[in-house]
Amino acid sequence: MFILQQIWDFYATVFHTALSIENILLLFGSVILGITFGALPGLTATLGVGLLTTLTYGFSTNAAMITLLGMYVGAVYGGSYGSICVNIPGTAAAAATAMDGYPLACKGEAGRALGLTTTASFIGTMVGMFFLALFAPLIAKLALQFTSFEFFFLAFFGIMISGGLTGQDLVYKGWIAGLIGLFLSTIGRDHLQFFPRFTFGLSELDGGLEVVPVLIGAFGIPQIIQVIRDQLSVGEAKKFQRVLPEFGIILRRIKTIIRSALIGVGIGAVPGIGEDIAAWVSYGTAKKASKHPEMFGKGAYEGVIASETANNACIGGAIIPLLTLGIPGSPPAVMLLGALMIHNVTPGPMISIENPHFIMEMTAILCLASFATFISGLLLAKQVVKVLRIPPPVFMPIVLVLCVIGSYSLGTKVFNLYLMVPIGILAYYMQSMGYPIAPLVIGVILGPMADENLRRALMVSQGSFLPFFTRPVALILFIIIVWMFISQTPFYKRFAGELRGKRFKGKMANPPTE
Amino acid sequence: MKRYAVMVFLLVFVCAGLGLAQEKKFPVRDITNVVVWAAGGGTDVCNRIVSGEMAKLFKVNINVINKPGGVGGSIGMNDVYSRPHDGYTWAGVSESCVTAGVQGGWDKRMYVWDYFIVGGSPDVLSVTPNAPYKDLKELIEAAKAKPGSIRAGASASGSIHHLNLLALEKGSGAKFNYIPYPGSAPAQTAAMTGEVAVVVTSVAEQQQLIRAGKLRPLAMLTPQPFTMKDVGSIPSSFGPYPGLSTYLPIMQAIGFAVPAKVPENVKEAIAEVFKKVIASDTLKVWAEQNYYTLSGKTGKEAKEEFEKLESLFAWTLWELGAAEVNPETLKIPKP
Repeated sequence: MFILQQIWDFYATVFHTALSIENILLLFGSVILGITFGALPGLTATLGVGLLTTLTYGFSTNAAMITLLGMYVGAVYGGSYGSICVNIPGTAAAAATAMDGYPLACKGEAGRALGLTTTASFIGTMVGMFFLALFAPLIAKLALQFTSFEFFFLAFFGIMISGGLTGQDLVYKGWIAGLIGLFLSTIGRDHLQFFPRFTFGLSELDGGLEVVPVLIGAFGIPQIIQVIRDQLSVGEAKKFQRVLPEFGIILRRIKTIIRSALIGVGIGAVPGIGEDIAAWVSYGTAKKASKHPEMFGKGAYEGVIASETANNACIGGAIIPLLTLGIPGSPPAVMLLGALMIHNVTPGPMISIENPHFIMEMTAILCLASFATFISGLLLAKQVVKVLRIPPPVFMPIVLVLCVIGSYSLGTKVFNLYLMVPIGILAYYMQSMGYPIAPLVIGVILGPMADENLRRALMVSQGSFLPFFTRPVALILFIIIVWMFISQTPFYKRFAGELRGKRFKGKMANPPTE
Repeated sequence: MKRYAVMVFLLVFVCAGLGLAQEKKFPVRDITNVVVWAAGGGTDVCNRIVSGEMAKLFKVNINVINKPGGVGGSIGMNDVYSRPHDGYTWAGVSESCVTAGVQGGWDKRMYVWDYFIVGGSPDVLSVTPNAPYKDLKELIEAAKAKPGSIRAGASASGSIHHLNLLALEKGSGAKFNYIPYPGSAPAQTAAMTGEVAVVVTSVAEQQQLIRAGKLRPLAMLTPQPFTMKDVGSIPSSFGPYPGLSTYLPIMQAIGFAVPAKVPENVKEAIAEVFKKVIASDTLKVWAEQNYYTLSGKTGKEAKEEFEKLESLFAWTLWELGAAEVNPETLKIPKP
């Protein structure tokens, strides 16, 4: 009975919101702006939501939330455009999408890849919304299982998993890249005691390396150099006619979609980490579960679907602890918290008493935003693919200019450019030696979290490492990390291969991949 | 000819008179309030409410914009200070802005501003609901018995809540194991999960959790008790520990500032409307709903409060090793 009431309430709210022309205009406007933000390097979901927060001060709470959530959903989705078309993810969340999206584009299937991400993002957002509506209080409890000990493992896990997945020849190279990222993240004053580390007396380095210039430098510059050097042209969109993907492709991968969505919601609900880890974990799981893991990285539909479903499902997940505990689950959710405070809504455990309809309203808006993204996505994708027809000698310099503007516009600091260029050059040489770039960026993003939480955890335990193994959630995470580490080493692979080989009397085909 | 000369003279005189009268009248155009912290924070929300109300009385727009960044809001403060000192640009500031100097973002003292303090939310000390301490006395005694054994969370080293915790330690003789967090929300979460037993943040930040029973308040770090809906009265920590009055209260001071060189008549005009707004019912209702204590200090009184905060914050940060610039070079007196 209660659930029926909820469902009725939900539909009533959705239709009530959707009936106003202004709301619909706001919704589509902000979604399209969001997609643009996501697609352009340097403009992220967090920045977009932050900018719109000030602009929506004069709006009603409802209208403001429509604008902000539209922006959020649009930007998380839009990140995939850059990943697929130019191999420069517009946001860190879309870095995993580039793994298979760009190879697809090189094969001339950019249109299909964009269509898949549009549908996957839509389904992901809807699943996230579903969980927000029904299980919010339950999932909020999960968020409280995480203390500094668990956060450290989680951050470390995120770096390791992206490292383990992206190494092309040797898995160690991915981990090395991740550790370089982790090292770069220690630059600046530490967050607990303000001790300056590797700052060389430069006050610009006090705040640490900013993520956006690193992201743009590391992904953008090597790609630009490479395309111009090799006279590469991304597969012309000749094969592509439709963006609405064949339902067969989607239906056959429904298991991947559901699994990825659940991963996204779960990771979103954990405070402080967001869409980027969700995408990587989901990508990794999809690869593990796939019957053809060797296809991953060469243009597997599953890869694109897994990461895009998860990063969008993360949104619903991230809003859950925000609304029920007042703890934002992801960086853009931090901005949402600010926006809510401006409109005199204090999220927290009392919200269902003080604003009984608010969670339902947010759910309804999230639902509308995902529809709007789906529709705008299908309309835009067709046009975006045409970008690939521009010859690279013209297109790449434009991308370069966009990269420079993107880095600079964040805080309007020239220093960001001094940061972007060397990191880009470092990334280019690393890439030409076969080191993947994504783990480096993930290391820079998650490094502060790993560093700060490890040290805080040790402050809490007064120097003892024991709680890492006595706390149940921490222990589980530890075992997963160790297992992941061992199972990826060539030694283990050979060992497992031999075992299997014996069992199947040599018939089993799992040769070491050297 | 002479008549013309007289007329021209008169005209000039009248125009000058009008001009003078014009100068007296404030404001004649829109005002910009540059909040030096991000949108949605306490300083931002507070400035938007007050500016909105003042705009109604001034009958001009007051545009609130955000210019966060730098250290202690230094980017916004430098920006406002570099514009004409005519009273048409305000800086929305809070107590933490006084740290900009020792952090190397602001090369002047804080007395170059005149402040209009709206108020702030008082600090409260709470514990995890199942913690064994029934009141502040039990907690302090336990902390004294085993110094450094009880974990206390607060936002980053040198933040206002950390300063409150330090003052409590000094005034009561207890020693906690201080665990820093990036902000009040994560510190409160840590208290809910039991990672820390004690947490110090403002009432506004904690009210939802206290009312939902997720945190249990022990004492206010202000001389007055505080009455909260659904919870009742939270006693003052000054009752059992009168010695605290030497170190506390260290209150939030949110409001706005104009450069001190702004003409006196303009400052007076702002102060007059500001006081009216602070006394209005709208602000009273807003303050009550948001767990703020209104201050309404202006002029010398407000300046003194900020100078006190400046010396306290600057020297504490310097002692913690978190300051870039020695407060002595800025000639900030010791507290």
